Amino acid sequence: MAESARSDILARLRASSSPATKEQIEQELVALGFAGAAALPAADHCIAFMANVLANRGSVELAADRAEAVRVVGRYLYNRFRTHKLVAGNDPRIAAMPWRDAGVLPRFGAAENGDSAALSYARLGVAETGAIVTWTGRANPGRNNLLPEDHLVLVNREDVVANLEDAWRRIRQDLPAGSWPRGITFTAGPSSTADVEAQLVMGAHGPRRWHVILVGATPTEALAEARALSGADAT
Amino acid sequence: MENQKPKRRRTRPRRDVALMVTCLADLMRPSVGFAAVRLLERAGCRVTVPERQTCCGQPAYNNGDVNAAVPVARAVIEMFEPYDYVVIPSGSCAGMLSRHYPALFEGEWRDRALALAAKTWELTRFLTEVAPLPPPKRPPLDATVTYHDGCAGLREQDIKQQPRQLLLQQCGVDVSELSQTEVCCGFGGTFCTKMPALSTKMADDKLNSAVATGANILLGGDLGCLLHLAGRARRRGLELEVRHVAEILAGTPPGPGIGDPNG
Amino acid sequence: MKQTSHAFMQHAEAALADAGKAQRRDLLGLFMPLARDAATARYGDFEALRAHLKRVRTHTTNHLDHYLARFEEASLRNGNQVHFAATPEQLNNTVLSICQAHGARRVAKGKSMVTEETALNEQLLKAGLEVIETDLGEYIIQQAGETPSHIVGPALHKSLPEIRRLFLDRHKLGERSLEQVEDIVAEARSILREQFLQADVGVIGANALIAENGATMLVTNEGNGDLCANLPPVLIVCTTLERILPRAEDAMALQRLLVRSATGQAQTCYTSFYSGPQRDDDVDGPLETHIILLDNKRTDILASDYSEILDCIRCGACLNHCPIYVGVGGHAYGWVYPGPMGSILTPLLSSLEQSNALPNACTSCGRCAEVCPANIPLPDLLRDLRQEENQRQLNSPRLRRGLRVHAWFLRHPALYRRLGAWTMSVLGLLGRRRGALRRLPFAAGWTGTRDFPAPEGGTFMQQYRNRARGGRRRG
Repeated sequence: MAESARSDILARLRASSSPATKEQIEQELVALGFAGAAALPAADHCIAFMANVLANRGSVELAADRAEAVRVVGRYLYNRFRTHKLVAGNDPRIAAMPWRDAGVLPRFGAAENGDSAALSYARLGVAETGAIVTWTGRANPGRNNLLPEDHLVLVNREDVVANLEDAWRRIRQDLPAGSWPRGITFTAGPSSTADVEAQLVMGAHGPRRWHVILVGATPTEALAEARALSGADAT
Repeated sequence: MENQKPKRRRTRPRRDVALMVTCLADLMRPSVGFAAVRLLERAGCRVTVPERQTCCGQPAYNNGDVNAAVPVARAVIEMFEPYDYVVIPSGSCAGMLSRHYPALFEGEWRDRALALAAKTWELTRFLTEVAPLPPPKRPPLDATVTYHDGCAGLREQDIKQQPRQLLLQQCGVDVSELSQTEVCCGFGGTFCTKMPALSTKMADDKLNSAVATGANILLGGDLGCLLHLAGRARRRGLELEVRHVAEILAGTPPGPGIGDPNG
Repeated sequence: MKQTSHAFMQHAEAALADAGKAQRRDLLGLFMPLARDAATARYGDFEALRAHLKRVRTHTTNHLDHYLARFEEASLRNGNQVHFAATPEQLNNTVLSICQAHGARRVAKGKSMVTEETALNEQLLKAGLEVIETDLGEYIIQQAGETPSHIVGPALHKSLPEIRRLFLDRHKLGERSLEQVEDIVAEARSILREQFLQADVGVIGANALIAENGATMLVTNEGNGDLCANLPPVLIVCTTLERILPRAEDAMALQRLLVRSATGQAQTCYTSFYSGPQRDDDVDGPLETHIILLDNKRTDILASDYSEILDCIRCGACLNHCPIYVGVGGHAYGWVYPGPMGSILTPLLSSLEQSNALPNACTSCGRCAEVCPANIPLPDLLRDLRQEENQRQLNSPRLRRGLRVHAWFLRHPALYRRLGAWTMSVLGLLGRRRGALRRLPFAAGWTGTRDFPAPEGGTFMQQYRNRARGGRRRG
């Protein structure tokens, strides 16, 4: 049955499609080019990225380097959960950080139901939409983005790209042909729903909070500017 | 055929304009047609009203009876071929001629339909973009006015600012805007009788919004919408005068508003 | 679900009579367009984006055989099992047999309009499986035994008190108040979390299928679809042929249009590209993944004059901007897809005989086409359906006769003029004192709720000729 459905559908499609060689189709496609990106709220990609993360109801902190990132994560965990427990994938970048300096005790592996906080090291940040990019694998199991109460994300300044097309260019560069991960996810906010009374509520199924830490030398004024641009002055 | 090319071609600058009165103005509210003639003449046009005109054929077209709409469209295309411009006091009929006629045909008739489309203008747009009106010689209108944008005019003819601009220039009136001015009033041709309850609800939304502006006059550029809104306003006993914008712009001694008693 | 589109007009009247619900819809009809407008303005040249995606879609549709073959090949290479389903029954049977092959008992579902279209849940339940909808809106209506009223916000027709009563009744969790929307969300979260963890099979939809790499794109805010795609050992993606796009970048362009049009965001919380089962490097994820490609008449539609409706990306903007949809709500349409896109899809996917009221639920106001991110000429397609309705004589004989008689008169100006002048003078006289008539024979559809404004008396053409006589000759 399924095989006949397949051949039947393909035959019908052949009948309604325009005849062309693979090369012609490819040429036509290349000529179409890519879409334009959305206007950025600021010329500086990192400022635009932070402004959009805030607009997506995430929170943002700065860390000059990985040592400071450890302290920022430690403080966050203590303030939120009065604990230093954290789960993170087997990302060599995370493993190499001086966690003991801040008394943080990461558990490396997949998040479980009941975990309060997970940390991911993003592959990319996207200024256009305020999203971070992760992909599944040992370094960041798929459930780590989804199961914990809070999702903490580190992203390097130099990994913040302008727009979604640039993000794909980087993804193609970083993932040689044939080594595609099972899942690539753009995360742009805590899990949310507006299904009841069209009222926005965080923590629908996944993280209630989404905390992005921009790693690298960023002046504090940049964050202040991002806050002003996002209209999220209150925090 | 009684339609020939107008015989006397003056040297200029007068524009040869054929007025398409529209069936609703012809039958229900001739004063809209006369106001249009007066405005066009004031704008320096030589106005002709071809006698065999009836209707643009929208009822049949919109209800899917293309076979009935095609001969009507052919007759309209032929009738207006001799003129430089066709001007219509309705965004919806203008949209029918300029957007939908070409879609009805192929080949030679399509070319003729496109030629008609290229010279077809809704009245307020014509009076702002082609043949501007001279400054008025009368005092500003003492009334609070709101304006209903007919959907076809708004979306098929890009009519939004033109009537407002004319009202400001000619009558010194700044339109008090409705709250959801881009939302349909619920007329929709035969729709208003196919779904009367919803159509009436939509009219009520529009009328409530008009009342909320504090306006005593509701203007529009499409008689269909206006008859529907006036009919509902009368049924509800609202104190709201409903008129076609041309009536106010022409500054004729105004008769009663649409659906209002005489005197 | 049983289709009741034929009773649209009755449903509509009933919906309008419920003032509370009508008011809720009016509010959504006010705010959803504002969110969309702000988001498209923030983007910049939204027109150019629309035009770009349209070009890509047209290209893809023109070569859909090529792209479908590429997608299938790449998906298989990724380790998926790819199935084709010509009919809804075939899709449902395929899902069922996968579940049975794994001895599955619990199925967790992400939001999928395709499985609403095929009524998958009914079939799985009949076969003794437990099926749970995990999108909060879908979960609510599943508990209530209802169908979605909106393709993006399926439970937006329900009020907080209604949902509270529903949860207190269904969940039987003892004393709790559920006063706030947050309480409702928290309760659903805790119940559904268990479901994700226990499910044997996850079923999700797809917003795009990417030909170059065989991945499926999933766009959600809740993350429920991602939980369905990451936790259960078996994943089934139910989708349709026309979701295919050539490149990941094209899916991103679609995502931009979709999300700004649907919710006014720049990007939803989760935009995921899933390509297959666990890899060597994975420590979680499904061990087996299936993609089911449903046709259900789409290849017919593709070859028809209605092919542009297949460009629809299910954003719901045409619903939010349609005065008919906002007026009567999604349930009135009597099937899965409501509003302008639904009024086109329903007749094409079922039959015009069952649903010819839907293409008539349109004032041709054009607002849907103005906002449609896929640039679909929705009012034109609705008019084409009315044309088909007229040709196949499915509309009322009285209307058909009336249109023919009217058109005949239009082509006989002399007669038309005489009859028009006579009628108008009679109506003018009848209505002179009040200025309007309260009742009119043969026009109850108008005068039931509206006065009929009295004609001024005498037609324009008559008066104009009289005035012109003796003066200049015209025309």
